[in-house]
Formats: sequence, structure tokens, C-alpha cells
Amino acid sequence: MRVQGLYSWHNPWFRWSVASVGALTVVSILVGFIWLPSVHGDFTAQGIWASICRAAGVPDDWSRADKAAAEPSPSTAVVLERTMARTGSSGAIGRGATLALQCTMCHGAQGMSVSDAPNLAGQYAEVVIKQLHDYRRGNRSSAIMQALSANLTDPDIEDLAAYYAYLPRARTAPASYSNAVPALVRVGDPMRNIAPCISCHGGTDQKFGTPWLEGMPVGYLTAQLKSFASGERRNDSHAQMRNMARAMSAAEIQAVAEFYARQGGAAD
Amino acid sequence: VYLARRLVLAHFWVAFAAFTVAIVLGEWQMFVRSPLHSWVDNPEHYYRSVTAHGTVMAYVFPTLIAMGFGYAITELALKRPLVGLRWAWIAFWLVMAGTVMASAPVAAGKASVLYTFYPPMIGSAFYYLGIVLVVVGSWIWVALMSINLRVWKKENAGATVPLAMYGNVAGAYLWAWTSIGAAVEILVLILPVALGFKDKIDAGLSRVFFSWTLHAIVYFWLMPSYIAFYTIVPRAIGGRLYSDTMGRVAFALFLVFSMPIGIHHLFADPQVGAGFKFVHAAMTGMVSVPTLLTVFTIVASVEIAARLRGGKGLLGWVKALPWKNPMMLAVTFSFIMLGFGGAGGIINMSYQLNETVHNTQWVTGHFHLIFAGAIVIMYFMVVYELWPQLTRCPPLPERLLRIQLWLWFIGMMVLTMPWHLVGLLGMPRRMAYFDYTHPALQPQAWTVIASTIGGFLLVLSTFLFLFILARAGHSTAVPAPFTFSVAVHPHARTPAALNTFGLWVALMIGLTLINYGFPIAQLALLEGTSVPAIPIGGR
Repeated sequence: MRVQGLYSWHNPWFRWSVASVGALTVVSILVGFIWLPSVHGDFTAQGIWASICRAAGVPDDWSRADKAAAEPSPSTAVVLERTMARTGSSGAIGRGATLALQCTMCHGAQGMSVSDAPNLAGQYAEVVIKQLHDYRRGNRSSAIMQALSANLTDPDIEDLAAYYAYLPRARTAPASYSNAVPALVRVGDPMRNIAPCISCHGGTDQKFGTPWLEGMPVGYLTAQLKSFASGERRNDSHAQMRNMARAMSAAEIQAVAEFYARQGGAAD
Repeated sequence: VYLARRLVLAHFWVAFAAFTVAIVLGEWQMFVRSPLHSWVDNPEHYYRSVTAHGTVMAYVFPTLIAMGFGYAITELALKRPLVGLRWAWIAFWLVMAGTVMASAPVAAGKASVLYTFYPPMIGSAFYYLGIVLVVVGSWIWVALMSINLRVWKKENAGATVPLAMYGNVAGAYLWAWTSIGAAVEILVLILPVALGFKDKIDAGLSRVFFSWTLHAIVYFWLMPSYIAFYTIVPRAIGGRLYSDTMGRVAFALFLVFSMPIGIHHLFADPQVGAGFKFVHAAMTGMVSVPTLLTVFTIVASVEIAARLRGGKGLLGWVKALPWKNPMMLAVTFSFIMLGFGGAGGIINMSYQLNETVHNTQWVTGHFHLIFAGAIVIMYFMVVYELWPQLTRCPPLPERLLRIQLWLWFIGMMVLTMPWHLVGLLGMPRRMAYFDYTHPALQPQAWTVIASTIGGFLLVLSTFLFLFILARAGHSTAVPAPFTFSVAVHPHARTPAALNTFGLWVALMIGLTLINYGFPIAQLALLEGTSVPAIPIGGR
């Protein structure tokens, strides 16, 4: 056994294995980076070097050509950070409560709306923060809310969110999601690509940035679903709600809204 | 077995206890998404179950089998007591602790991220830490295998390493290198987010690191079965191994080519360049070579057995095979499943064909056929072969063994063939339910029932397996010494390259750096590629 003689070109095992692995590598690289791209127009349009770079996953220009035309304005400027959900200090809650005095006309004295404006009591902080930023920046439209949010500073928004998150939220969903619950809420409709409501809005899972819906006014929920469906409202960052709502019929929108709005199970 | 008897037994019992839980979960998944059951009320329960099934079957079960079998091989093939028995127990308890630590958050619904992790989904940190413990435990095993070989070599200077030990250590080195990908993904990318230090994660880079582990892990699972093909099957059916050298070549080729191919799991991922996808696809083709070598060598060995038993003719010798021998049955079943699964694998590795089966039930069918079929049926045989050594039980009842193997084979075929079919028709994988009332899906409903029945046969087979082991009994008689297959030319000279690992490990590392170095460096350096993490079960 001449182990010491193994790592030398004189050893046929060494010679052949290193040479054939090397040759295989070189040939596959040549095919993958030069020959195959050469048959694709969009790979070769800018010459051989650009083509190799693209095959390596590094185009010299990530978004070619008409940049201005291609870029739609973003649907929201808010990046959801988990720090947004931190429980506010009592100071922040107090300041938020003061600021919230201008919200009570529509959203109710304790954040429970008696009009078709949404309840805010117990709403997740990051939800309130995101919506106020979107109103302020014009990513979500409402004559009233855009005007009211225009004067709010970032700390104001955080304080308001802390205050509303601190209030007790309405709880109207049943203890278990049985067959009596509308199918779209419970299991969605896979063939139409509609995810179950409870997979994000609480029930199965509560995804970060999705609002608490229980106890919301029917009018508000149907109006929002319809405006998501028409594309009038488009501040859902990944079009997640537009895609759900577009596939829903008017009757389904009504049924889902009524489920979330029903009062303590006594809606019937 | 001398010192490590209880150690090996502990590994096997825990492996199959976990396996039993996971297989029942798998069958539950099949049942609730079949037309036999109404839609599962809470789809999260389904994904919880998928996560548990995958985590046990991919990490815990095969790792424990490879470790236990590895310790047994060390003592049986090297004919000396295991060095580092205490460390082996520490490794075992680490794997146990990791399993418990990972299972608890999964059971609680805090880590339904599937065993492939899928960032930006982020589960409980305990889940990932548990998996790290399992892997660290297995690294101790890797070190022990290496040390034991070294000690033996020192005592037997110039001798040829027994083939079983050569394959065993090849598997250990393969695992050491391939587990680094997932380890880096967890330690560097996922844990900082899971522990709350960071909000964002580079999902694309994470997936590239996982692919580093994801494909080669299959060859780590496969090694014990291939060791059994070469070193147990020919002896068990009364033949001789056609070529010892070919076994060594196959193990060496697995070392070299298992690793630099994982990007074929990322064909649909935009963050990886098309050139690298091609190179990985081409090298994936190469990894079929050791499997083909193995199939030819073992079929030749089986033919030797048949001709020794008086078999004649070009194919007439097949009739002379010992078909009542469970090992004969198992290797036949294993090769049939390996044939179908391997053919499917060649489809998966082809960029264009992959487009049609990507993320469909076809893929689930493919890896169940290879792993749960071809590989696990040989795990059963390894345990059956070693059981008299481990427990000193009398010979196991061959008729029950045959029934168990038939159930497993039929069950696996009935489970996976419908998956392949509907995968081609486009049925997505990882669905908690299907709408069978939809006219486009209704014609496929029967296939899900068929798979449920197949799964049920697998559960039966598992319980029969446990029953056979549990009632095997004990006797005080010392079992006949365990032997491995003898080659046709047992004293042929083994070249130095096939008696050591240096060359192959160097090629493995070199090829990995060429095939992974650039994509990883490029993605790691690219700015603005992180996305907000999506915590699972956080509220």
C-alpha cells in the first residue's frame, strides 16, 4: 500500500480521477455558461461576457431598458418590522389617548365604532401604524383620513397605535371553527386560490400586519373587500387581499363580512 | 458485537419508535386529505403533522440508523471493540435531547415550517436548536468512525480496510460535509431571526445553503442500504460479491458527486443563475453512475448465488434463486423501487422536464419511492440481520419477515404510483385538502384513496416489523459470529486510492467550492436581498 505515492501524477488513480473530474467540470461550465446561453437571444444580445455574467446570476444591469415605464408606484412604503408590535409605554398610551380624541367622532369613544368606520379597540399596533402611514403618503385614500393623518408625526402615529392596541378588543368568533362557519373563512377555496381568512386574520394563525376583524361593522368590511376587488384600494403590499377579493362573489363578500361582524354569536 | 450491543440496540429502538409515530402521522395526513374524510378543520394541524413527519423521517430516523449500524460495523468488520463508547452514548443522548427539543414546539404549533425550514417563515428557536443538537450528535459519530478506522489502521498497517467499514466511513465523511449547509443556514441566517435579534432574512441565500444539504443528505440515508447491498446481501443469499473494488468505487463516487448537485432543487429559484443550474444538473447525472454500478454488481453477485445453486441458462438462473429468503425478496423489491424512483429522479434533474413536475405530488412520490421504499426496506433487513447479534434471539420467523416485506413493497407502490400519476396531471404537493367537488379534480379523487390504502399497508407493515422484533425473545446462547460477504476474488490487491479517503474528500470539497462558492459569495454580498421574516404561530 503506497499511500504516499497516491498524490502524484504517476499514480493512475490520482491522474484519472482528477483529470476526469476536471474535464467534466470544464465541459459542463462551457456548456452551461457559453454554449446554452448562445441559443437564447436575450442572453446574447449584449455580447459574450454579458451572457456569461447573466448565466452566473449576475446581470450587469438588473432591470434592463425602459425603467421608468416599467416601475409602477409601490402600493405601500411601509416595511413591517416586528418592533412595531412592541407594547407601548404608559406614557405613549397616554399621549395616544389624547391624540385619539380627534378620532372618537367616527371610531367611537373607546375605539368601538357605532358608524361604518372600523373599530380600533385592540387593533394590532403594526396595523394602525401601517394604515396611518399609508393614508399620510396617499397609498390609501379617504378624504377624511388623508386630511387627519397629514398632521401626524411618526411618534404621534406610534402613540396612537399603542393606545388602540391597549384597549380591549371585540371577540365575536366562535370557540371552534366548525362546519357552521362560512367555508371561505374556515378553509378558503383552493381551486380559486382563495386562502382561508383564519390563516392570516387569527384562528389558525395571525400573520404580522393583518388586522383584527372580529366585531367590525359589516358596511366597512364589505366596502373594503369591494374596493380591494376593484383595485381602488391597493395598499396591501403583496396584493394578498386584492387577489383574494377579486375571486369572491358579492354574496361571498357579504357572508364573510357578516361572519366577522356578528355580535357575540347572536347575529341570527 | 462486544461492547456496543446496548448502544446499537438503543439507536435502533429509538429510531423505530420515532419512525412509528411519524408513519402514523403520515397516514393521518393521507387520510384527512382523501375523499374519505371531510376537509380538515384547521389546516395548520396538517402542516404541523407534515413538519413532524418530515423532521423525524429526514433527520432523526436515518441518522440514528446510520449511527447504530455504523457502530455495529465498526465492531463487526474491524473485529475489535469500539473506541470511544462513552462519547457514543453522549452523541446518542444529544440526538435524543435534540429530538425532544425539536418535537415539542412542532407539537405545540410553534414551528410548522416543514422540515425544509422555508425562510422567511420562522418558527420557535427551540425547533432549530433541537435540530442542531441532532446534527452535533451525529458529528460525534462521524469523529468516532474516523478515529476507529485510524486506530485499526495503526494496528493493521498495510491491511485493506474491510468494505463495510470503507462504506461506513465514506458515509460519515459525506454527512460531515453535507450537513454544513443546513448548519450554516440555521446558525448564521435563521437563529438570529428566531431569537429576535433580526427582523429580516435572506431567503434566497438560505435556500441555497439548504440545497447544499438537501440533496446529499439522501446519499447519507442511502449509505447503510448500499453497505447492506455489498456486504450482507451476497452472503445472506449464499453467493459471493462480484467485485469488492466496484463497491469501493461506488462509495468513492458518492463522496465526490453527492455534494455539488443540490441546486437542481432550485431550478425554479430566480436568485441562482442558469449556468450554475446546468452545471448542477450535469453533475446530478453523474451521481446515477455509482447507483448503476451497484445495481450491476449486485445483480452479478445474485447471479453467482443462483449459479452456485445450479441455475442455468441466460436468464434461467433467476428461477434458482432462494426466493424464500427474506433478503432475496428485500433486495428485489428494493431494486424495483430504486428503478422507478431513479428513473423519476433523472426526470427531476432535467431542467425542462422538471418544469412539469415541480412542486407536484410527483416529487413526493419520487422521494418516498427512493427513501421510504428502496432504502428503508434495506434498513429493515439490516435490523433483522443484526437482531440475533444484538439480542441473542433465535432466528427470526422467515414467513413473517416475508409478509412484512411484501406489505411494505405493495404499500409503497400503491402509495407512490398514484402520486406520480396525479403529479403529472398537476396536483400540487403540501395541500391540506382538495376540492373533490370541482369537475377538474373529481376524476383524480380515487388516486388519493388509493394512496391512503397504500399508506395503511405501510402502517400495518411497520407494526408487524415491531411485533417481529418484540417477540423475537432472548436466549443465552452466544450467536454465531457475524460475517460479511466474501468477494469472488477475496485477496485481490486494493489500490491505495480505494483504501483511503483523502483523494475523494479533496475532490468532494474542491467540486463543492467550484459549484457553490460563487453563488453563495455572490448572494451573500448582494445588498437588499433580505425580506421581513414571517413568524409562525407567534400569536
